[in-house]
Amino acid sequence: MEVIALYGPYLLISGCIFGFLMAWGIGANDVANAMGPSVGAKALTLSQAILVACIFEFAGAYLAGGEVTSTIRKGIIDPVLLTDSPELLVFGMMASLLSAGVWLIIASFKGWPVSTTHSIVGAIVGFAAVGISAESVSWSKVGSIVSSWVISPIMAGIISYLIFRSVQSLILNTQNPFDNAKKYVPGYIFLVGFVISMVTLLKGLKHIGLTLNFQESLTYSILIGISIALLGSLILRRVKDTYEKRGDVVFDGVEKVFGILMVFTACAMAFAHGSNDVANAVGPLAAIVNVVQSGGEVAAKSSMPWWILLLGGGGIVAGLATLGYKVIETVGRNITELTPSRGFAAVLAAAATVVLGSGTGLPLSTTHTLVGAVLGVGLARGISAIDLSVVGRILISWVVTLPVGAALSILFFYIFKSIFS
Amino acid sequence: MKKSGYSDLIKKSPLKPIQDHMEISQQSVAELLIFLDHAVNSRWEDATSSRKNISDLENKADKLKAETRGLLTKGIFLAVQRSDLLDLIKLADEIPNTAKDISGLMLGRRMDIPSTISNSFINFAKEASQISSVAGDAVGHLEELFRFSFGGNVADRMQELILELDNLEKTNDQTEINLRAELFKLEADLPPIDVMFLYDIINKIGELSDRSQQVGHRISLIASR
Repeated sequence: MEVIALYGPYLLISGCIFGFLMAWGIGANDVANAMGPSVGAKALTLSQAILVACIFEFAGAYLAGGEVTSTIRKGIIDPVLLTDSPELLVFGMMASLLSAGVWLIIASFKGWPVSTTHSIVGAIVGFAAVGISAESVSWSKVGSIVSSWVISPIMAGIISYLIFRSVQSLILNTQNPFDNAKKYVPGYIFLVGFVISMVTLLKGLKHIGLTLNFQESLTYSILIGISIALLGSLILRRVKDTYEKRGDVVFDGVEKVFGILMVFTACAMAFAHGSNDVANAVGPLAAIVNVVQSGGEVAAKSSMPWWILLLGGGGIVAGLATLGYKVIETVGRNITELTPSRGFAAVLAAAATVVLGSGTGLPLSTTHTLVGAVLGVGLARGISAIDLSVVGRILISWVVTLPVGAALSILFFYIFKSIFS
Repeated sequence: MKKSGYSDLIKKSPLKPIQDHMEISQQSVAELLIFLDHAVNSRWEDATSSRKNISDLENKADKLKAETRGLLTKGIFLAVQRSDLLDLIKLADEIPNTAKDISGLMLGRRMDIPSTISNSFINFAKEASQISSVAGDAVGHLEELFRFSFGGNVADRMQELILELDNLEKTNDQTEINLRAELFKLEADLPPIDVMFLYDIINKIGELSDRSQQVGHRISLIASR
């Protein structure tokens, strides 16, 4: 208690700085993975992609980020056990932000495909299990999070496989692919709007004072889906079956139609990414702010101040603006083989999976989900060449990140503890 | 800079260099026709520069073959069978090699084509060139075939090309038989060693058509899987 009273403002300010830096890192690095396919497929230009990312990452974080944030904030550790020593929670969350940040910077320099989500979850579990006590960790919750990391890429893979197979039989393998593309693509656009709004309405909007039951959510989601599909059809009318050169890629009419679809899936992906990954930065910060502002009380039932989401969203935009656009460009340039008809299937499957995770409060790795989705399209023979050795590398980084994130956060936790007491 | 997980996942398509390779092969056969025209008319200086072009094209083809093989490393998951693509590039690469052999042999020996068979001879080579251009057309559809997931119009067009290829090859076989018969009538009056090499050249031009036909069949196999 005394520690909080004494150092409260300092803890708050450094917590904000760490949280902002974390969000900056997400904007600089992770958003690139979410937006890369759309830029690579030339469905969006770089500046369009950044605009979409800014708007929809923020919307996703604010409208649908609540569940995952609350998992990070109070789902992994039981804050009630810390009523007597709330400063430990503050130190731990600061240590988690710092360790995840440090690990991500190291990994970025080394070129390892490390997940922000895995780093932060590993870090929180680490400081709680070692720094506080093994009982303070809600192991059943951790178990369900870890199994969601296994299930989400598989699920995204199955969905993208099915989506691409449907594209093959409805559009590509027909005598008139262009007309069929125009006919069926609004249906996929409907699916994008429906899935995203359904999950968001069902789970996400309670905190802005809008509570809907299942029936109402379903109705509104169908309406939203239909209106987005109508918007899509209007845009599609202008697409002609002619060749067009974008950069060094030649687009035929069919790919141009899918290019329009991919604008919608890009928005969905940014929304999904925002709803899930912003929590990595905002969740620990929210826990710190809660403790400090309540003067040391660990209140499990407190609401999250709005400015924290603003800080998180702002950090992401800052990351995008300073470094993210470059990373998006790099990622996009590397995956030009993923044309819109393939890219949309992968992105839609990943976005749907991630947003489902957000709705159920499971922090997923967007990148790994996308990897699963890309493999799904590959299995449907949609991608000419896939390097499977990369999958092995991702698995290794997956396994390594948890203990490293944990070890770093334990280290920082004890450093903070000795500085402030 | 961060190598993101999945931008490494998606590799450069091997189909493009295969198409480029076939394009070069076709050019080498077209250049061979020019060479043969010079050779039949004993314009050996022109023939020499033409032979140089063929040799350059063959070098280019070799580079593309190496590039393709580099993209087909183990651990790569492909939309088509890896072995099919390796076979395809191996077969296709024999086309510019054979064109180079033919031109080299004829230039080195300053080979005379007897005027009575020169028309049939040129005609035979023209047919071979046509076959390679149809095979090239089929290979040229490979990427499109992949884009439309091995179905629809492109697959139909591909099968048409393969049929056309088979018909041309049949005609070409007959032309070869006729050409050999013509040469057989003359052979007693010609220097025996020259005749031997003439038969060899005819063989090699026949090989050119065979390879092109095999390339076409490999493509249809890829298309139908």
